[in-house]
Amino acid sequence: MPPIVCSAQASYKKLPGLLELTDSHLQWTKAGEKAPAVKVPTTEAASLSRSKAGAPQVRLKIGLLSDEAGHNFTFTSPQAVALAERDKFEAELTNIIARNRSGAPQIPAPTKPLQAATPTPTTPAHGSGVGTPMRPPPALSRPSTSRAVSVASDSRASGTPVGSDPTSDFRLRKKVLLSTPELAQLHRELVMAGHITENEFWEGREHLLLAQAAAETQKRGKPGQLVDPRPQSVDGEIKIVITPQLVHDIFEEFPIVARAYNDNVPGKLSEAEFWSRYFQSKLFNAHRASIRSSAAQHVVKDDPIFDKYLEKDDDELEPRKLREERVDTFIDLGATYVDHEETGNEKDVTMQAGKQRAVLPLIRKFNEHSTRLLDTALGGPAAKRRRTDSGESEHYAQIDLEDLHDNQSSSGIVLNMQDRQRYFDGRANGTSNGDDGAGRVDFQEALQQSKASTQGWSANLTQLKIERKAGDAALVSMTQNVASRLDVRLRKHEIPEGLFRQMTTCQTAANEFLRQFWLTIYPPANESQTLSVATPAQKAAKAAKMIGYLSKTHEKVEALVGVAHQEGIDPARVQVAMKPILDAVNKALDFWRLKNSKAPGAR
Amino acid sequence: MKFFIDDLPIIFPYDRIYPEQYAYMCDLKRTLDATGHCLLEMPSGTGKTVSLLSLIVSYQQFYPTKRKLIYCSRTVPEIEKALAELKRLMDYRRDCAETDEQREKEQNFYGIGLTSRKNLCIHPEVSKEKKGKVVDARCRDLTNSAACAKGRENPGSVDLCDWHENLGKLEPGNLIPPGIWTLADVLQYGRDNRICPYFLVRRMMPFVDVIIYSFHYLLDPKVAEQVSKELSKDAIVVFDEAHNIDNVCIESLSIDLTRPMLDSAARSVVRLGEKIEEIKETDASKLQDEYAKLVEGLQEANSAEDAFVSNPVLPEDLLKEAVPGNIRKAEHFVAFLKRFVEYLKTRMRVLHVVAETPLSFLQHLKDITYIERRPLRFCAERLQSLVRTLDLSRLDEFSSLQKVASFATLVATYEKGFLLILEPFETDNATVPNPIFHLTCLDPAIAIKPVFERFSSVVITSGTLSPLDMYPKMLQFTPVVQETYSMTLTRNSFLPLVITRGSDQVAISSRFEVRNDPAVVRNFGSILVEYSKIVPDGIVAFFPSYLYMESIVAAWNDMGILNEVWKHKLIFVETPDANETSIALENYRRACDNGRGAVLLSVARGKVSEGIDFDHNYGRAVIMFGVPYQYTESRILKARLEYLRDAYRIRESEFLGFDAMRNAAQCVGRVLRGKTDWGLMVFADKRFARADKRAKLPRWINQYITETASNLSTDMALTLSKQFMRMISQNPNEDQTGISLWTLEDIEKAQAKQKELALAQEVERQDATMEDEDEYGDGGIDDEALGAIDLDV
Repeated sequence: MPPIVCSAQASYKKLPGLLELTDSHLQWTKAGEKAPAVKVPTTEAASLSRSKAGAPQVRLKIGLLSDEAGHNFTFTSPQAVALAERDKFEAELTNIIARNRSGAPQIPAPTKPLQAATPTPTTPAHGSGVGTPMRPPPALSRPSTSRAVSVASDSRASGTPVGSDPTSDFRLRKKVLLSTPELAQLHRELVMAGHITENEFWEGREHLLLAQAAAETQKRGKPGQLVDPRPQSVDGEIKIVITPQLVHDIFEEFPIVARAYNDNVPGKLSEAEFWSRYFQSKLFNAHRASIRSSAAQHVVKDDPIFDKYLEKDDDELEPRKLREERVDTFIDLGATYVDHEETGNEKDVTMQAGKQRAVLPLIRKFNEHSTRLLDTALGGPAAKRRRTDSGESEHYAQIDLEDLHDNQSSSGIVLNMQDRQRYFDGRANGTSNGDDGAGRVDFQEALQQSKASTQGWSANLTQLKIERKAGDAALVSMTQNVASRLDVRLRKHEIPEGLFRQMTTCQTAANEFLRQFWLTIYPPANESQTLSVATPAQKAAKAAKMIGYLSKTHEKVEALVGVAHQEGIDPARVQVAMKPILDAVNKALDFWRLKNSKAPGAR
Repeated sequence: MKFFIDDLPIIFPYDRIYPEQYAYMCDLKRTLDATGHCLLEMPSGTGKTVSLLSLIVSYQQFYPTKRKLIYCSRTVPEIEKALAELKRLMDYRRDCAETDEQREKEQNFYGIGLTSRKNLCIHPEVSKEKKGKVVDARCRDLTNSAACAKGRENPGSVDLCDWHENLGKLEPGNLIPPGIWTLADVLQYGRDNRICPYFLVRRMMPFVDVIIYSFHYLLDPKVAEQVSKELSKDAIVVFDEAHNIDNVCIESLSIDLTRPMLDSAARSVVRLGEKIEEIKETDASKLQDEYAKLVEGLQEANSAEDAFVSNPVLPEDLLKEAVPGNIRKAEHFVAFLKRFVEYLKTRMRVLHVVAETPLSFLQHLKDITYIERRPLRFCAERLQSLVRTLDLSRLDEFSSLQKVASFATLVATYEKGFLLILEPFETDNATVPNPIFHLTCLDPAIAIKPVFERFSSVVITSGTLSPLDMYPKMLQFTPVVQETYSMTLTRNSFLPLVITRGSDQVAISSRFEVRNDPAVVRNFGSILVEYSKIVPDGIVAFFPSYLYMESIVAAWNDMGILNEVWKHKLIFVETPDANETSIALENYRRACDNGRGAVLLSVARGKVSEGIDFDHNYGRAVIMFGVPYQYTESRILKARLEYLRDAYRIRESEFLGFDAMRNAAQCVGRVLRGKTDWGLMVFADKRFARADKRAKLPRWINQYITETASNLSTDMALTLSKQFMRMISQNPNEDQTGISLWTLEDIEKAQAKQKELALAQEVERQDATMEDEDEYGDGGIDDEALGAIDLDV
């Protein structure tokens, strides 16, 4: 259980309970229940708002990245206590949110200082290497966290991560374990119990770590929605709630507001005054993404300060700001309009673009907003990119029909076969015999034959009779099948909880041992991905160790059968359940025995 | 690959070929051999342009006649694409050439594209002008022959265009090395060598093998007379993407006049008068010369490049006689113009709608002002002559007068197929008059007739020409070949779906009565929201009109529907300004490339629906919101429908349905390029479910609309779409070769089969002459059916 940073009595959806903040999650547990009803990773936290000071109820609202609405908690302790508690939560969460926004990964609980283990001479240095512990950070450049650079340590022995190789990152491992409870369970049983080491456990599971690392480095883009603060009703009053996030968004979306803010705050206006006047100004109305705002013009007051910043509505047919540069000819719509003089009659009313002038600023706002989002994501407007790569080849690529190219010449990897000649000879002989018969189909004859065979088909069809007995038998067997399946479905799960858990544990553990065993037997799949390359001697030692564990499986199963007997359950059922794993274990044992007997003098 | 059709060697710039491309080329060759016209409908995205160019270039290079190819497309992007396609084809042909002689021949092949001065100008000041008309006028001032003569005689006295001057120093016919020059290439060449790209192209036109430009340069008599007059009669004319060719024809002969235009024209007339007085004092002989010429009926032998007001009527309707006496004198003509403009102004004061035939207009005109029909017919020509005599500059300021003159000439020349409509108010509820005088052409056959008569082979082709018999009827020609091709697919690469109702079972439709119904708006919105959730990369949505798109975008925004869309995709919307839309389009593509995904909202028959492809990730789904019918309250449309019914027996509803469906098909067809590309085509309107509507879709789309997919609710459509996307995202493991892709062997096999078939038919025909029919009477399959069986060997 991760340590709890702070906790308080709070109600959620009018139900009393306990609100807790751990270093990874914010969770709320209903009073009298064990599992938290709300559990939110702190990395999800995006915004925070609180009830006013002096309000009768002490509330805290947290908005999430994935869900704007978020969660609303009311602190239920006596007012004074509740306020203190709320402040504590607020302080903690504000930090977390700031961290989330800045894009830096969450700082994990500081790793304990690592004791430098004496490197065993047999261990080959892998990855970061013994001599170069200060490996440069990878190109993705995650801001370096407190992940201490370990001193030359034998990671295999100590199980501590080394360097910045994602497969040996302690933090990543922890995350993976947290996100998959089954794996965590296994990890507890095997690693914490000391059966196998940390690294052995992760060997063969590198893909999970790599996936986690990739998922973390993927930066979350800006959400697409327009910045459009709408009044909401809070405590019976209609108002617009300003959060620091909103302010930030407004400044980014409308640089003019940022300018106004810089010019006037705090000189002429206080912050609160600034915002309340902004939201009543014509400027705000011009910024709103709605054409209804023009109808609400009369409720808007003149404002000498903000009206200075007002620009003319961008509702002419031609945009106010026209970009000069030309776009690629393949999508240059303007070129067609000047390709020849305009001819013909005027378009009818419905086909004249821009007839509803009030919509034009809105449409332009959409296009600009999308462009801005795109530019922030791609780092710069289109023009720069265009100049560099709009070559002929790109144009050709746009008109190319790629499936008409012959691609067979380059596809595939040639299969290397021993004795290829012989194989094909054999094949050829085999098939040529068959072909002789099949190849010389006399078309005429075949046609006649098929014709003959279909003659009188209608008479044949009427004569068709299905034998009663067989039909009945089939029906009966089907019914039985269904009945038995239903029976199984209906029968209760009779194995008691405790025994069942033991059985599962036994099974998963044995599976893990088997996995480890076969890992040492087979050649490594991909050198670059595996944690380390063990020497044959190490491998053999490990295999022997695993065999040791595996050979105990039989005893364990016996024990389980015994328990079952005591509990009054048919032991045969336990045996049936454990049979597959026992078979697999036997197979491994046999293999080991065979291998050792083959080369008795090898070691 | 190289293969033969009959004796013609074809070089095709790919290793394989689609069967429909092969069939298309065969039919095309048949047309060229027969020197007739043809109508070919080929599925969008199956490489129509490349097949066309590949066959025609092979034809040109093989036969000694060297027929010129005039390739017309609708938009500049399409022209540029066709040029790029041609360039690549010629590169391929050069690489494939077997002998040096052949290589030489391929290298000497010329192909260029023509567009306006505005698009081709590189003069540092002139090219900065925003309007095409201004660029034209300023360019004329710097390059017309009179100015040039003056400037060369006396350097520095007149501003001349250096780029144009440099071009003049080169040897005609050898202004640019042989090869294929795209518009971008020509511009670059012009910049590098300091010569004018526009005149370079214009002057190279008689020497090139392929010329690519837009429909207007051949169909609009005002432009065609300047540009396309000298093209030889045996040229092969291709109208690509010709599904809207009837509209281009009609537009090229229609004119609108408004009150501001008449005011401007009146001012121009005054200025002309002043100028005449001025000239009379300084250089009276000029006017005398002109008068003498007009008396003799001499056509001025001036180069077409200088032309300003060319005649708006078709060449054969031009009067080959001297200008009538009463407008020969310059001041008389000016007075004549003044009277005519005044007359039009008084007509504009009427506050009720007037629709009349040209004949009745002329009668009324004569009754009031004594203006006769004959001088009116010469109006445009006479104005041209006067303008030239007076050496006017900045002709763009006279454009309104030019329009009035064109109007006069047109109305006096054509009695049938035209209608004059005066609309005093813009809309029915408007109170402030804003009158427009429409002279509208109702018959597309008028404008295209000279093309069919002049050129021996005219190819009309597009992805959507269904129903095929409509075009010969409307354009009044008889094709020798008329064909539509279906799409051979080993797996369905696109999924057409017809959504007739929302998830709440409310029927959706863009029918005028219900289109603004909140339930319909919300259901349309939820289609967009749901598709933006499940479809990767780009989605394009088309609306039936600008008016509807603008109102629905506002409504969706207020309903919070767009907020849902923002969560999944960026939103871009077509705007009234073409350049602004281009930029939005470019950003849309970036968003699709980047993986962010975007939605583009645009209008069927609008700017984006023509000439822009949404293939691959640029359009994984197209949603057609509503049926893109024309606005039936439009008086012009009503007049046209009436004319079609009376003259060609095409029913109103038939034409409207046909027109709506060709535009819908055009929109959805833009998602595909090649057979590995895939896309969803969503038709969201309950009227699409009707069989008679769907029958008007091209066969290649219609054949893939299953019965279940023709009447869906939104949730059902989503389920089908998800299923389809899961299926299509799998690697296609079956080999398409031989079915939807042919190699050289497949072509030869098909040809052998065809030969056999032809032979069998020949034999049969001979048999048939001997005895009527061999009936064996054994109930077996007869020979013909056996021959038709598709033996998969």
